[in-house]
Amino acid sequence: MIIEAILQLYGYAALITVVAISLYGIVRGPSLIKKLIALTILGDTANVLIIFLGFRFGGEIYPPILPTLNPTQETISWFISVAVDPVPQCLVITAIVINMAITMFLAFLIIQVYRLYGTTMVKKIARLKG
Amino acid sequence: MRLREVAIGIMAATLLFAIMLAVTLGGTGWTPSTEIRPLAKFYLENCFNVFNKDLWAASPEAVCAMLWDYRGIDTYYETAVFFLAVIGGVAIFRVAEIKISVTRERQRGLSIIVKSVSRIVFPLIVITSASVAFHGHLTPGGGFQAGSILAIAPLVLIAAFSRHFIEEDLRLTKDKCLTLRTVGLIAIALIVAIPILAGAMALMQNQVKPWSHHFSYPEALGPLWLAGSLFFYNVAEYLTVGAGFTLLFLLMSIPEEEFRRILKL
Repeated sequence: MIIEAILQLYGYAALITVVAISLYGIVRGPSLIKKLIALTILGDTANVLIIFLGFRFGGEIYPPILPTLNPTQETISWFISVAVDPVPQCLVITAIVINMAITMFLAFLIIQVYRLYGTTMVKKIARLKG
Repeated sequence: MRLREVAIGIMAATLLFAIMLAVTLGGTGWTPSTEIRPLAKFYLENCFNVFNKDLWAASPEAVCAMLWDYRGIDTYYETAVFFLAVIGGVAIFRVAEIKISVTRERQRGLSIIVKSVSRIVFPLIVITSASVAFHGHLTPGGGFQAGSILAIAPLVLIAAFSRHFIEEDLRLTKDKCLTLRTVGLIAIALIVAIPILAGAMALMQNQVKPWSHHFSYPEALGPLWLAGSLFFYNVAEYLTVGAGFTLLFLLMSIPEEEFRRILKL
């Protein structure tokens, strides 16, 4: 039990540290590409954190999919007692799609910025006139 | 300056530790425990409850049932966000049709080994993605995941052969992808609209519910379990996402020098 608690604490510590590092990358990254990479890391870490919140400890744990098309009342109660939380998984699918869309759009913007200004460094772009 | 940065670092570390402690001690509700939340219990109990069909979604997969039935409108708008991002990308890369000399482009591409392997792998990727899409309401997967897998197939071809191969030999141009993408989104809207036109009073409900007992899609077609409209939603989303990503990959693989020439840089 103590080992489980320590591992759990370690998991949160690792995830939150990655969030912190990626936030630092977004704020202080010199190049737009690096900012984009940090943004994707932030999004993925947030998703892992949400999935982590939906997990459950216990003996046998199953994905939230009923394994039969002819369930009995007992199968359904067994399913509720062993399946993980489907809500975070559902939220994460939505988040991944939107994250993907934003990443793609930002990548397009950055490519175009590079073509037009010849650089992706934020400070150089800020110094450009016109 | 240095002192300030150290102070900021210490503050950030303290904040992180506080968040971590709060989460671990249950600040965000029940963190991984042996029990699940009442909301999750509701979905798990009702998604395929054949004994009480008042709230069921006819899908044994709770996540798919939530995505397209219980939270269907959410998912529709999420698809719309993705569609807008694709439109935005197309708008940024709006240039005249790019013509590349056929002979020059044909000689390019990777080695014969890579090309042969790509020829074998291409249909396998398409078949895998189709199976993920068509089983999305029964097994892990669904429209978006399948569409993402499908989009890998043209990406492999772009890398192994060339962008030209896709546009000329497969006849899969940017405009066709955009059309397919729009067809998919309209198909989702139509699947939503048909029950309403037939008299049911609920949006994105794939099965007969107490408040919409007029019309619903069949839950099974002979031995094939369709889970109402979930199957059709998954197929439409598969088309939408696959075509959308293919379009983005095609745009991204436009040769840099061609682009610079057109932009006159």
